[in-house]
Amino acid sequence: METLVTIREFDDPAYDPFNSDEINFGDTKDPYPAIAQWRATAPVLEGDYRPKMGLASALYPDRKMFTVVGTAEIQEVLTDMERFSNAAYKFNIGITFGQGSISTMDNPEHGRWRKIFQKIFLPQYVKKWDDTIVDPVVHSLMDQFIGKGHADLVEDFTIRYPFEVIYHQLDLPKADVRTFQRLAIGQTDYVNYEKAVEAGQKLGEYFIALVEERRRNPGDDLVSLLANTEVDGDYLPEEVLISFLRQLMNAAGDTTYRGTSILLTALLDNPDQLEAIRADRSLIPQAIEEALRWDGPVAVQLRMAKVDTVLGGLEIPAGSLLDVVAGAANRDPALYPDPDRFDIFRDRKPHFSFSRGPHICVGQHLARVEMTRALHAVLDHLPNLRFDPDKPRPDIRGSMMRVPKHIFVRFDT
Amino acid sequence: MPAITVITREGEERAVDASSGLSLMEVIRDAGIDELLALCGGCCSCATCHVKIDPAFVPLMPPMSEDESDLLDSSEHRDETSRLSCQIAVGEDFTGLRVTIAPED
Repeated sequence: METLVTIREFDDPAYDPFNSDEINFGDTKDPYPAIAQWRATAPVLEGDYRPKMGLASALYPDRKMFTVVGTAEIQEVLTDMERFSNAAYKFNIGITFGQGSISTMDNPEHGRWRKIFQKIFLPQYVKKWDDTIVDPVVHSLMDQFIGKGHADLVEDFTIRYPFEVIYHQLDLPKADVRTFQRLAIGQTDYVNYEKAVEAGQKLGEYFIALVEERRRNPGDDLVSLLANTEVDGDYLPEEVLISFLRQLMNAAGDTTYRGTSILLTALLDNPDQLEAIRADRSLIPQAIEEALRWDGPVAVQLRMAKVDTVLGGLEIPAGSLLDVVAGAANRDPALYPDPDRFDIFRDRKPHFSFSRGPHICVGQHLARVEMTRALHAVLDHLPNLRFDPDKPRPDIRGSMMRVPKHIFVRFDT
Repeated sequence: MPAITVITREGEERAVDASSGLSLMEVIRDAGIDELLALCGGCCSCATCHVKIDPAFVPLMPPMSEDESDLLDSSEHRDETSRLSCQIAVGEDFTGLRVTIAPED
């Protein structure tokens, strides 16, 4: 659909939001040995997670901070809504995505809006996107390098396809896809705070105008659907709707790019397991779940204590912020024997990579559809896939968010 | 305190005393039956506490919301006895209820 409004780029054309990953989310090669050491000491530690990983502390209001690494305590914080709140996110994503983001809210307010967004992304609906949207996006990207015999699967593929899927669903102008992706990613560049705010403002002014336009001329896209959704006779509040659209652009593109990149890295690093999947594609779901457990894209969630409480033996004053390290639970040897090993054949137990509790990832079913389709396409179209012997091996890095910057591969043509 | 029977995926029958007022999900989880994942913690935001209710007891169950029905539609194993156990408050008249944990999706 042609739109009447135009998206505005960052004022500084030289700014590259993709270069801000290390400074925001860390470049630690392997955070897990340190996390295991902490867990052996105590389930809850004083102080925030970032400086423990060598990053500058986030700019939150002055208050006590804790890092939660015990699995039982992680589960407790994420599911006990009487004691722990999502209001902590008002200090970061609330500012850029907007305070209407459901990630900043608690129930019952959170649930009132969540159920509307949740419904769109249920498996029975996103499965329908598979053939019509995900598959064509995956193939159009892959067609550009299939004949070359070599590729960087991150730059040429994984960083693009999940964003293009959601872009297609929102029916935004094709020519502006890179501008939108830069703004979407820039929204979480909290170290360059003014850029994060600028990105949120520019996406916001665009979406406000677009919602108006699609109320006048609705199409069959997600913006039209949400713009025309009514609750008790009213449209969704503008702040909730615009915050969701900003967050959707960021979350839908960013997390699945990371998850798919980690999945492909793990399988290339373990060729016997890749071969097993080649021989039996029914192993794909368990391979995806294992990749998400082994090195989930989002290692840490943030919560705030609502009341004075005790957690893991520590006194937690009301208002304290808690870094909840989901990645610690995913590598808990009590749950997953030999937890640092990537093993698609291990006993299946649910991981923590989509979080737990009322804020469990709304997009998890879409992520699985996308990763499944991506892996099928890699198996179908890149025969004899292997690391490029002339290039460095992929290097998964990050302490908050994980991803390899490149996956250089060769394949037969 | 109504006495109910929970049937696990392996077919094992477990007698459980259900405190009325709790949700059926909480009762099953508190009995240590961890195959009922209930990942969202009981707020109708996932479908991992899916159970099958003894048909004789279906009329005693609270009505199903549209949101619960949508979530159950995401399961390959839904049938007319399917419910999300987090959405069912245990009543005094549940004595004798048999509830089966649905297969994993």
